[in-house]
Amino acid sequence: MNKKLTTIILTLIVLAVILIMMGPFYILEEGQQSVVIRFGKIVDSQQEAGLKFKMPFVDNVIKYSDKILAWDGEAQRIPTKENLFIWVDTTARWKISDPAKFYASVTSYERAYGRLDEVIDSSVRTIISKNFLREAVRNSNQINNIDDTQQAEVEGVEGEETMQQELRDLANFSESKVTYEEIKKGRLKLSDEMFDAAKKITPEYGIELIDIIIRQIRYSDDLTESVYNRMIKDRNQIAQAYRSFGEGKKAEWLGKLENEQKSVLSGAYKTSEEIKGKADAEATRIYAESYSKDRDFFEFWRSIESYKKTLPKFSKTLTTDLDYFKYLNEKSPR
Amino acid sequence: MGDSNQMPFRPPQLKIKPRMIIILFLVVLAAAMGVSSLYMVDQTEEAVILRLGQFNRIASPGLHYKMPFGIEQNFNVPTQVIQNMSFGFRTEKSGVETIYSRNDYPEESVMLTGDLNIVDVEWIIQYRIEDPVAWLFNVENREKTIRDISQSTLNRLVGDRKIFDVIGKERVNIEARGQEQLNDVLKSYNLGIRVTTIKLRNIVPPIGAVQDSFEDVNKAQQDMNRLINEGKEAYNREIPKARGEADRIIQEAYGYQAERVNQAKGDVARFNSVYDEYRKSKDITRSRLYIEMIEEVFKGDSDTDLIDKNLDNFLPLKNLQSGGTR
Repeated sequence: MNKKLTTIILTLIVLAVILIMMGPFYILEEGQQSVVIRFGKIVDSQQEAGLKFKMPFVDNVIKYSDKILAWDGEAQRIPTKENLFIWVDTTARWKISDPAKFYASVTSYERAYGRLDEVIDSSVRTIISKNFLREAVRNSNQINNIDDTQQAEVEGVEGEETMQQELRDLANFSESKVTYEEIKKGRLKLSDEMFDAAKKITPEYGIELIDIIIRQIRYSDDLTESVYNRMIKDRNQIAQAYRSFGEGKKAEWLGKLENEQKSVLSGAYKTSEEIKGKADAEATRIYAESYSKDRDFFEFWRSIESYKKTLPKFSKTLTTDLDYFKYLNEKSPR
Repeated sequence: MGDSNQMPFRPPQLKIKPRMIIILFLVVLAAAMGVSSLYMVDQTEEAVILRLGQFNRIASPGLHYKMPFGIEQNFNVPTQVIQNMSFGFRTEKSGVETIYSRNDYPEESVMLTGDLNIVDVEWIIQYRIEDPVAWLFNVENREKTIRDISQSTLNRLVGDRKIFDVIGKERVNIEARGQEQLNDVLKSYNLGIRVTTIKLRNIVPPIGAVQDSFEDVNKAQQDMNRLINEGKEAYNREIPKARGEADRIIQEAYGYQAERVNQAKGDVARFNSVYDEYRKSKDITRSRLYIEMIEEVFKGDSDTDLIDKNLDNFLPLKNLQSGGTR
């Protein structure tokens, strides 16, 4: 009797547990949404989390994510408006906005991704090929606003402001200082255009597109090679400009050296000759002032002084005619 | 649970009493309740509690109780941890000497600059989960979303600048703007994180010939400075020397001047003195001076010829003689 009762109770508990587990309830977590299918027909869809009801054994619950989902397509090789081939890598975010429609039109994530591939790839292709490369690469015109004074500096030459300026001019020249062409749209705008084109289509699949973002743009391989070459040439040209500038400056210094050396020395020569001239003039004046007192005596004196210096060097043959010898022949004066 | 499973394999002679089954059932139930209702939250984490799938509360670090049997679920989220993400390179093993992976990730790091050049940029971002509920339930592919947006943001910023500005002075600006814009986009997804840092690591031109040519520009700048310094050096070597030389020439001239004037003054002084005396007795002095002069001139010579003025034919003879001795 007792045994029978407990068996019944036990059976009831087990049945109740089984019923609850299999039964009319299911839990929808945060970040999930569900569609309830009864005999292949959608009877309900839920987007709020909580304990939900269904018909046991009959209803089939399909849960989808209610979160933002990522889409990442293959990079595409697309020609731009100027016919340059670039790789465009885009990514997008989307969400299942209408689980019933989603189930009805695509059912699974795989097929949804397939649809998104088609829709997004084609809108990316359309927009990129309608625009110039610069529109896709740049986002604004601020490239022209960044003050690009060159970073090259002449070291250890203080106060050479003009030289720094010259160098800057040179650098800017060799950097081929161009104002880059104005862009009309920019990358974000292009992304928006792709987004606008694609988002019209996706609601058919119960999908809400949240954005399309250009993740990366690369040159195609053959284009990369030619860009590399251009970059190298550009650098070479700049390097050459620096070296030539250095050579030029060196020559300038050497010229300056020559110039200053000559002008300093010749200036000194000039000054020294002036000084000497003044000295000569002064001496002449002193002599003249004094000697002009008695011309006759001066001549006599000066001659005598001069004879003393010059005559001893001559080899001499004298005649007795000389006044000096007048007493040789006579005892008394003539 | 193990015990009850083994029941059917027990020898049949052991009688199964319903009471035992009930007790066992209750014990198992109690054990399961205990196990499934306690949970731990680490100091670095916060836990989000769902009741029947619906968000209920957030639990702080420590040991906590929740309703058993999956009625309440806990999700621990590391909200205190700063998380790292690297782009263009991977850290293989961090430590005192961090090892970086040898692989390149050009699909992340190669970018086009605004002047249509190519540059290779590596960077890291750091972020922290600020809102664990948003983090758990708003976005499905979270890591990938952060990576995608980070890449697209950096690409866009680099695409707006010239290669030299990217490598050089715009670096800091890119980091600051990048963080700002990245946070804006992630906020629009309500991802529940905040990016605390973007740090650009290596920004280099493409490896190989291109990089070499960039380095050559640096070398050229060094060469330029060297050449200029060489010129300066020659200048500094020669010019002070020349200035000294000029000084010497001028000083010499002054010396000449002093010498010349003093000489003149001396000569004149002597002349004047003699003249004063001469005036007193002109003839005598004149004769004296004359004789003194002759004396001085001839006193040293020993082979002077003295001839009479009437010997007319002496001169040729004398010439012959001197010609012969030569």
